[in-house]
Amino acid sequence: MRKIWVVVRREFVEKVRNKWFIISTVLGPLLMASFVVLPILMAERGGADRRIVVVDLGTEGLADRLVRTLRPPGPVSATLLPAEVADLTRVADSLTALVGVKEIDGYLIISDEAVEDGMAEYRGSNVSSMADMQILERVLRETVMTERLGRAGVDAGVVQQARIPVRMRTLSIRGGKVTEGSGESAFILAYAVWLVLYMAILLYGVQVMGAVVEEKTSRVIELLISSLRPFQLLAGKVVGVGAVGLFQLAIWGVCAWLLFQERELVLRLVGIDAGPAGGFAFPAVPLETIVIVLTYFLLGYFLYAAMFAAVGAMSNSDAEARQAQTPVIMLLIIPTVLMLGILQQPDGGMAVSLSLIPFCSPIAMPVRWAAATVPIEELALSIAFLVIALLLVVWVAARIYRVGILMYGKRPSPKELWRWVRTT
Amino acid sequence: MDNRLVIEAQGITKRFAGHTAVRNLSLQIPSGSVYGLLGPNGAGKTTTIRMLMNIIVPDQGRIRLFGLEDSGRDLSHRIGYLPEERGLYRKMRVLDLVTFLAEAKGVARRTARQEGTQWLDRLGLSDWIRKPVSDLSKGMQQKVQFISTIVHRPELLILDEPFSGFDPVNTQLMKDIVLELGRRGTTVLFSTHIMEQAEKLCDSVCIIARGEKVLDGRLSDVKRHHGGLHVILAVERGVDSVHALLSDRALVAKADNYGSYAEVELVAGSDPQQLLEALLRAGARVRRFEIAEPTLNKIFIDIVGADAAAPRAEEDRSHA
Repeated sequence: MRKIWVVVRREFVEKVRNKWFIISTVLGPLLMASFVVLPILMAERGGADRRIVVVDLGTEGLADRLVRTLRPPGPVSATLLPAEVADLTRVADSLTALVGVKEIDGYLIISDEAVEDGMAEYRGSNVSSMADMQILERVLRETVMTERLGRAGVDAGVVQQARIPVRMRTLSIRGGKVTEGSGESAFILAYAVWLVLYMAILLYGVQVMGAVVEEKTSRVIELLISSLRPFQLLAGKVVGVGAVGLFQLAIWGVCAWLLFQERELVLRLVGIDAGPAGGFAFPAVPLETIVIVLTYFLLGYFLYAAMFAAVGAMSNSDAEARQAQTPVIMLLIIPTVLMLGILQQPDGGMAVSLSLIPFCSPIAMPVRWAAATVPIEELALSIAFLVIALLLVVWVAARIYRVGILMYGKRPSPKELWRWVRTT
Repeated sequence: MDNRLVIEAQGITKRFAGHTAVRNLSLQIPSGSVYGLLGPNGAGKTTTIRMLMNIIVPDQGRIRLFGLEDSGRDLSHRIGYLPEERGLYRKMRVLDLVTFLAEAKGVARRTARQEGTQWLDRLGLSDWIRKPVSDLSKGMQQKVQFISTIVHRPELLILDEPFSGFDPVNTQLMKDIVLELGRRGTTVLFSTHIMEQAEKLCDSVCIIARGEKVLDGRLSDVKRHHGGLHVILAVERGVDSVHALLSDRALVAKADNYGSYAEVELVAGSDPQQLLEALLRAGARVRRFEIAEPTLNKIFIDIVGADAAAPRAEEDRSHA
């Protein structure tokens, strides 16, 4: 035990001292801060600086009402330009030229057909901007609707009444209770859980592999193996890197929380007056979700770190290890590819089976947990399977590691690997 | 030197996929001796040493260290092991690394730092203890490796090809320390394929070739046993002028002609004086006639043949 501790400490101290650790630890919160600041910056910048021209081919005031609806503070401001159908080609050409020199962003051609057939045309440099087009379409639709109702003789007050939009609030029910969290925040949380787990398991698992390969290529292993059992070395390394991972995640977690708490201060620092809109919604994270995520992170990390260590032990160089790691990474990617399916149907057959299969469950189960209610029996079964698989994988990996670290030369075939596992 | 055996191996055998690396090898290494494990590359020296350290397990046979059944790894605090292929963590600071390697052997952290600092001082690395290993020259790294082998004051040193790749100054320095530790009672086992080195350092040797023991014993006994019949001969006008005489298989078993002089091995039971007489009778003017102890190299080649002394044509690095 003492010897494992010696290895753990070395691994931890050296990794934390490493400049990449310091850089990535500092970069993380900066990235998070930019998540808070950038959407607001973009929203501010996007304000009222889209300029379009509405070409009115005779609409009996419809175009005029449209232009008035688009007036600031909306992000798009419009100017009315009445024109004759006969002149359209000439007018369109000159407007196209204006778009070319960035005088305006585009122009909307609207005639009375809009009311009758629902036809209008927009030409512009910003047609790929979903946000702009959505606003334009919505305003156009509502204006045309009002116009149609008005022409059908509906009372203006009734029309006004009919235009009041419906907003549906979504609340998720967990464990038979309605929670504060909305459906959207559950989705964001599940997504964040997936991102953190996938990145962390991959990032730190690969670091274990790198450490094993480094010891092998530098031949330090020859010195170590005379005083440490392979298992002590393997356990120390995996635990050491895992501790570094938890340490870094903890730093990032605290930073994220502080940034969220102090987001108004952060925004003021970059010169934004925080309005009530205040950036993105930070979903409330229940304590049990944190416990579940941590549990699965540790189990999943150990599972994958053991496999990565075995891959490192059977390789002779970084390049070789990067090739050999592909099957391991594939295992990790399966739940990622199917992530959307899990999020859309957290209780569907696929989500349930993925959250029980040991190699997928470290990611699939916490995501399900964050997105919906998971029966406690399923959770227990998932953890049991995962622990059994972990013990099995560690046993095999330790045997491959034990033989592999002293083998140089060509990479072993699957048959040779099997012999390594069987030999005592 | 007492007669307690520090290393006792009985009939150890190790087979790898393609070949037998070590076959039925037995070693008795008494406490306090400086013992050379000799043989050409690929003879099975490293495999033998790894079995002694319990890094690999013998297929057959039994190994006892210090008279105990414990494996070499469990006794690592009493053993200083310098492997043949050795490296260091390149990014670690020198003192941290020496401390870590000593701690891995079971030395307390504080003691490890103190002793490590002392040795680094003694070998002239005191300015480097806070620098990363990668800043050190190759010679300095070799010193660090050597320090990590002896820093925990082992009773037994096992050095696998300790001087390979060392520059002459370092080689001398290490030899002095090894001999000093030997005088203080540390048992030293080292392997080498350079017979001249072993001859200068060892009091006992074991020669192995192709995985099998060829001979072992105290160096003086080995030499006495194989000596007496060797003559170093130099004559005026060169050795070729007495070629006919040296071809006389009734008297001369073998003659290595080096041009200006020859190493002559006489037929068993013959008297060197007979050769001298014959030379004088043939009219040769003798400039040197020395009844010599054979060099270890010569003994080795005589016993295993020049063929076996050459490295194996195809050496399997993964098992050697």
